[in-house]
Amino acid sequence: MTHCSAPRVPRALALLATLALTCSTVALPQGALVSRALDLEQGGRWRDAIAAWRQVLTAGDVAQGVLGLERVFTQLAMEDSLLPVLDSLLAQRPTDRTLHGVQLRVLRSLGRERDARKAFDEWVRMQPGDPAPYREYAGQLLSDGRAGAADTVLQAASRALGSTKALTIEVAQLRAALGLWAAAAVAWRDALVAESYLESAAVYSLQAAPPGDRDSVRAVLRPVTTAPARKVLGALELQWGAPRDGWRALAALTAADSAFASWSDFAEDAERLGAWLAARDALAAMHRERPSASLALRAAGAALAGGEPASALELVAAARARLQPPQAHAQALPLEIRALAQLGRAAEAERLIREAGDALDARTKQSYARQVAWGWIRAGQVERARAALAGASGDDEDEVTAWIALYDGDLARARAGLKRPSDATSDVVNAIALLSRTRADSSRAVGAAFLALARGDSAQAAARFERAAGELSDAAPLLLALAARVETARRQERPAIALWQRIVQRFAAAPEAAEADLEWGRLLRRRGDTGGAVERFEHLILTYPQSALVPQARRELEAVRSGAAAE
Amino acid sequence: MSCVGRPAPVGRRPSVPGGFVRAALLVAWAATSAPAQHLLVPMDDAQQNHLKSYGLAFGALKAGRKTEWFLNYRGGSFLIPDDPALRRKAALDGIRIEPVDDARLLAVRKEIAAANMDAIVLEKAPTIAIYAPPKSPPWDDAVTLALRYAGLEYTQIWDDEVLKSDLSKFDWIHLHHEDFTGQMNKLYLGFRDVPWFIEQRDRDFATAQRNGYPSIPALKKAVAGRLRDFVEKGGFLFAMCGASETLELAMAAQNVDIAGPFSDGSPMDPDADQRLDWPHTFGFQGARLEMGAGVNSMSDIDGHQVNVPARRQPLGAFTLFNFSAKFDPVASMLVQNHRGVVPDFYGVTTSFMKNRLKPGATILATEEGAPWVKYVHGDYGKGSWTYLGGHDPEDPQHNIGAPPTDLSLHPNSPGYRLILNNVLFPAARKKPLKT
Repeated sequence: MTHCSAPRVPRALALLATLALTCSTVALPQGALVSRALDLEQGGRWRDAIAAWRQVLTAGDVAQGVLGLERVFTQLAMEDSLLPVLDSLLAQRPTDRTLHGVQLRVLRSLGRERDARKAFDEWVRMQPGDPAPYREYAGQLLSDGRAGAADTVLQAASRALGSTKALTIEVAQLRAALGLWAAAAVAWRDALVAESYLESAAVYSLQAAPPGDRDSVRAVLRPVTTAPARKVLGALELQWGAPRDGWRALAALTAADSAFASWSDFAEDAERLGAWLAARDALAAMHRERPSASLALRAAGAALAGGEPASALELVAAARARLQPPQAHAQALPLEIRALAQLGRAAEAERLIREAGDALDARTKQSYARQVAWGWIRAGQVERARAALAGASGDDEDEVTAWIALYDGDLARARAGLKRPSDATSDVVNAIALLSRTRADSSRAVGAAFLALARGDSAQAAARFERAAGELSDAAPLLLALAARVETARRQERPAIALWQRIVQRFAAAPEAAEADLEWGRLLRRRGDTGGAVERFEHLILTYPQSALVPQARRELEAVRSGAAAE
Repeated sequence: MSCVGRPAPVGRRPSVPGGFVRAALLVAWAATSAPAQHLLVPMDDAQQNHLKSYGLAFGALKAGRKTEWFLNYRGGSFLIPDDPALRRKAALDGIRIEPVDDARLLAVRKEIAAANMDAIVLEKAPTIAIYAPPKSPPWDDAVTLALRYAGLEYTQIWDDEVLKSDLSKFDWIHLHHEDFTGQMNKLYLGFRDVPWFIEQRDRDFATAQRNGYPSIPALKKAVAGRLRDFVEKGGFLFAMCGASETLELAMAAQNVDIAGPFSDGSPMDPDADQRLDWPHTFGFQGARLEMGAGVNSMSDIDGHQVNVPARRQPLGAFTLFNFSAKFDPVASMLVQNHRGVVPDFYGVTTSFMKNRLKPGATILATEEGAPWVKYVHGDYGKGSWTYLGGHDPEDPQHNIGAPPTDLSLHPNSPGYRLILNNVLFPAARKKPLKT
């Protein structure tokens, strides 16, 4: 098998390296020796690096020297050449932890498990009351994934030392490796009491808990009020996709717990993960603790990104109080305009723009005018939207103008203006799909349907799309499909099914028929009607074999047959 | 084609382009939807779903329809009768079928007769049993996954059924990563405190006691003996992963203790290697047992030793042998594939060392230049056995707790095809085989 005796060549090289060390006549200071060895190692000059690290050893820096030799010999697959060096050094320094650790690592990497065990036993024999040997050996076995062997070592430690108090980290890692998540959480909780710097290690270890076991981890950490445990729970919830719960774990921290720094770390992580509302909460709390305009503005930005413009306005107002007018125009006003537009409070946005007056350049005013126009649209005031836009832009091709034309039912103008949309949201895609499908140049019903959608009035939007299907016969199946999508989003299953049924029966040759079958089948599957769902998926596959939706229908069919739960 | 001779419905308008297009469409429609006597299921790269194709052939057999396996013809194609139900199943499962009339079939048969190909008649859908513990999830076993995905029916059996029921009612029994030495794959070393391991150990021990055996190793030896009887009397046995190696060890160790103390309370017999009884095994001989209780390996049969870091060998790719379809139909059936070289995959037992194989074993796939083989087959008594190393062909590094393989993402998996070849080949057993 692959167990093999130590090859001769490495030993010869080690001997050469020793000779090179002996011949070296340049006496450099210890720091310079280390730098030179590192340079040689980083340059890939392994043989020279061996000699240089040996010089470091001779100069007395045993830890640096032996670790350097370990790295280089590993690169050359000559780890066995390190063993004679370690034997000599351990004879001089029998209690040196670094040397023992390296010895165990080398023996294990060579597959000499029995020798590693002997080396460990020898280390324990020399320092019977010291937890270091157990910690080192168990840690190495855990990093190899050998949880059972590590468990044996820790049980020996418990017998020899009276407890595993000094080995809490290793115990915690072991329990996590064994899938004993509640026990691992308890061990980490205990370890954090004495060594709070282990927060990251605890998060790293516990975040691997599968969804079904996470509640057991929560149950251990939630009752603990110490800052490290709270921080760990907060970070875990963030990683597990429950950022608001994560923030709740941290919110109770006080200044004495260095809450500000914890909240700051959490806010940064939440922003990075796109958990905007959790980030907003953390930033707002930081602002309350240490008020600052920049924090309030950052929190407002997070609130806007998270879809809560009302809270963004409150935060911007708090920031305004701390800003001079020029700063307010530059930093607060853009957020206020966005928030007010999203809330449909266009009149207030217009007032703020007026008040800013000449402080705003023409380009900024034009950008704001578009946002104000959207605000008016959301308020259902198309005429005022048009007026707001006219004040800043006379360009007929402008995208906002095109949308206003669409809401007016002027499909020809909308078609011209939406040739190159700036983004591809579902509303844009729907509008373009309709405009390219129908040959009609005007339709009040279609305009009213899209306007209702823009206002967020989904009930009206669904009804108007359905009505528009009667007006625009060449786009009828698409309009019915849009109505069905809106009904699905409103969780109105019966009207959605009626619409899909109409598409499948009356417009069987339309591209929307396959989509109707698929969505209909999915809804039936979610409702537990597997027979009905199978019928729809099979109908799609057999009736529209060329449809791009066939692979999705096959996957759904497979899932229904295997009894998988609907998503 | 069946549309030949049928009067083409010609429209009234003589417009050449429109009429031509319409006629062409009608011809195309007729070619795909009109009855054509036979359906060819190509198994080369034209096939969109190789794995479900086996289910289609199995379904035809199950319905009592004559089915043929064209060995080496377009990747090992199937010929099934043209039948609306089979067409429907093919369409639903995304299986490519080609309608074939008698004239075209004659040409195909001539091509088969003139080359290293053969047409094997499949007579009856085999009755399949999978040896797997109760409550085991389907994704823990590649064969169960393949059978479920392809839509092949099977019965799940476990120790009680093997020991007490009549196994002759099955044509084919599959074993996966069960450890027939009774040491539970030596997972005791790393998982002894984990709930699923404890449950598994308690379940097996209860089964042993229920059947009058003092320990799990004793129980598994008895099960191995019954499986050997099944093959001897004419059954087909297919084993993957650790089941192959440990079944051999258990059969060889009927009268010697080869289990570590953690599994039966007594140490291994120090002379176990010398006392193993190899004449009563299927495919291996002269193997040396791993005596270290702390070393996660059973013997030196496995070439890759995946769970022993210092011995672990890297994965390569294995090559399927090309047998003579007319003279070695059994071996040919087992290697039908659209790929000749397949990426290797780990398992508790990944491969089989050549120097441990019995001389009579047929090597079906090997890694070029390596001392091991991947896929072997042989006869024993009136039956036959096949071993395929590795756990999951589409999860080469499979680890405990890894997510299940979704075969709908691998419908053309050459590795899984090897498994399904095995399931189907007992259907041809009534034909006098020359091997």
